[in-house]
Amino acid sequence: MRPGRFVAYLTLIALGLIGVAPFLYLAVLSTKKRIEITAQVPPTLNFNWAQIAKNYNEVLFGQGMLSFTVNSLIVVAVATAIAIVIGTPAAYAFSRLKFKRSDSLASTILSMRFMPPIAVAIPLFIMMKFVGLTDSYAGLVLPYVAFSLPLVVWILIGFFDEIPREIDEAAMIDGATHFRILWRVMLPIIRPGLLTAALFGALFIWNEFLVALYVIDSRGLQTISLGAATLVSAQRPIDWNIAAAVGVVTVIPILIFSLFVQRYIVRGLTAGAVK
Amino acid sequence: MTFASASAPARFTFGKPENTKLTLWLFLGPCVVYLIAFSVYPLIHSLRLSFTDLTAASGTGNFVGLENYRALIFDPLFWNAARNSAVMVTLAVALQVVLGVALAMFFNLHLRGSWIVRGILLLPMLMTPIVVGVMWRALLNPDWGLVDWAIRLIGIEPPDWLGSVDMAIVTLVLVDSWQWTPFVFVIVFARLQALPLEVFEAANVDGAGPFTTFRRITLPMLMPAIVFAAVFRAVDAFRSFDLIYGLSYGGPARGTITLAFFAFQNGFQFQNYGYAAAVAYSMLLVLAMGTTVMLRYVQIRPGAR
Repeated sequence: MRPGRFVAYLTLIALGLIGVAPFLYLAVLSTKKRIEITAQVPPTLNFNWAQIAKNYNEVLFGQGMLSFTVNSLIVVAVATAIAIVIGTPAAYAFSRLKFKRSDSLASTILSMRFMPPIAVAIPLFIMMKFVGLTDSYAGLVLPYVAFSLPLVVWILIGFFDEIPREIDEAAMIDGATHFRILWRVMLPIIRPGLLTAALFGALFIWNEFLVALYVIDSRGLQTISLGAATLVSAQRPIDWNIAAAVGVVTVIPILIFSLFVQRYIVRGLTAGAVK
Repeated sequence: MTFASASAPARFTFGKPENTKLTLWLFLGPCVVYLIAFSVYPLIHSLRLSFTDLTAASGTGNFVGLENYRALIFDPLFWNAARNSAVMVTLAVALQVVLGVALAMFFNLHLRGSWIVRGILLLPMLMTPIVVGVMWRALLNPDWGLVDWAIRLIGIEPPDWLGSVDMAIVTLVLVDSWQWTPFVFVIVFARLQALPLEVFEAANVDGAGPFTTFRRITLPMLMPAIVFAAVFRAVDAFRSFDLIYGLSYGGPARGTITLAFFAFQNGFQFQNYGYAAAVAYSMLLVLAMGTTVMLRYVQIRPGAR
């Protein structure tokens, strides 16, 4: 092997390690006793199953991370479903129906993706309080739909724009209305787009915790990122083995998620990008 | 269109024209109404809050006019946060663009097995920022962290990552870059893969060396993607506070309190709703100016129009 090639492969391995080593370190820490973390540097790889069971039992059941995960799944699934139902026809309209200022409306919607959450969190909290929805799933779902909607619309506009216009023109000649075209012609074609939009819309709110911090009072209703935030806040000293296990528990759903998004990740991340 | 004759060009027989407007409303309406109710209205409400002295304890709050904004201008903590935001965003974007482009060029070599590493590099940006912060707080722990151990192994004393005021913001930039450099990479790499090969062949024929080719041909052609990625990164770094929440909670000595974190602290920790809203609006002002510039120079509409 030429030396240049050798260095290139060494770089590749180093990059892989930089990407994955922090996760592995976190995973190893999560298997340790509290005192072992400060005593073993670097941590050894002899695993004590009883200790692992103890740590994860504490995190999942003692601290409630399992129920936080379930809460997050429910809230995110419902919010994403609503965002898709509302967002898909809107994206179709931006792609296919000509109307005045459609571009500036589309840009306005995209710009909402850039909104600092603090700019809306307090009013949203006051709104939810006013309608009596604080400390409930609905109190999170309603704001979260608004958070993921801009992303969903933008990802879907990109997918709709890629469908050749001949397809809907052909359907129109046959007398199909826009409803029919969207429902019968577009939806089957756009399925990868719906998946991409749903997954990225979901990720966007999976990580959200500011609104949850305001809206949710009872421990039992905390979402996964809020639960993680309250368990591992940099404000106070923490038990590192437990904090690491909390980290691992939040990473696992994302690892599963990443298996689904691989093919669409570029599309999802670059919604609105130049082609 | 009842009078459309059979001889009219097919593309103009758009069903019933009187329904298109209704269809438009039905398709767009729910989305627009929803966003007005849950994004635009809260934004306006926030603006109204920024003219009051509302706190969590005070019930309704009184109208105080521009008092919050006046207080902001004379608040050294606000300017400290603004400075930290400027430093953090500038350094993070610069570092991530340079590294992201370098990564794109590196992966353009298409080494065997490089797709696995590409897949690994996507994971950090899917992670919950708070957890990223906590994870790096462990890695960089001065007493037992893996990174410090590894640096001492090669005989160097590691910097005081999160303990010194000047270093902490650099550490924040480094951690943010660990998570988000792949974002720049993914976008630039996608663009690089789409470039026509002929241009590079022509450059080769004309005797251009690899560095000339990169500077004169590759880089200019990648520019739209780089600018796009940089703008997205700048905005997201500017508004992010959750990474800081997990990594340093603004410390030490307010060294990592950015505007986003300052707004969060005032709004949540100190429950100063009016003041937090004023900070948020000063951020929106910066963002609006940034977005205007972005729309001037970058085409963000996807697809052909």
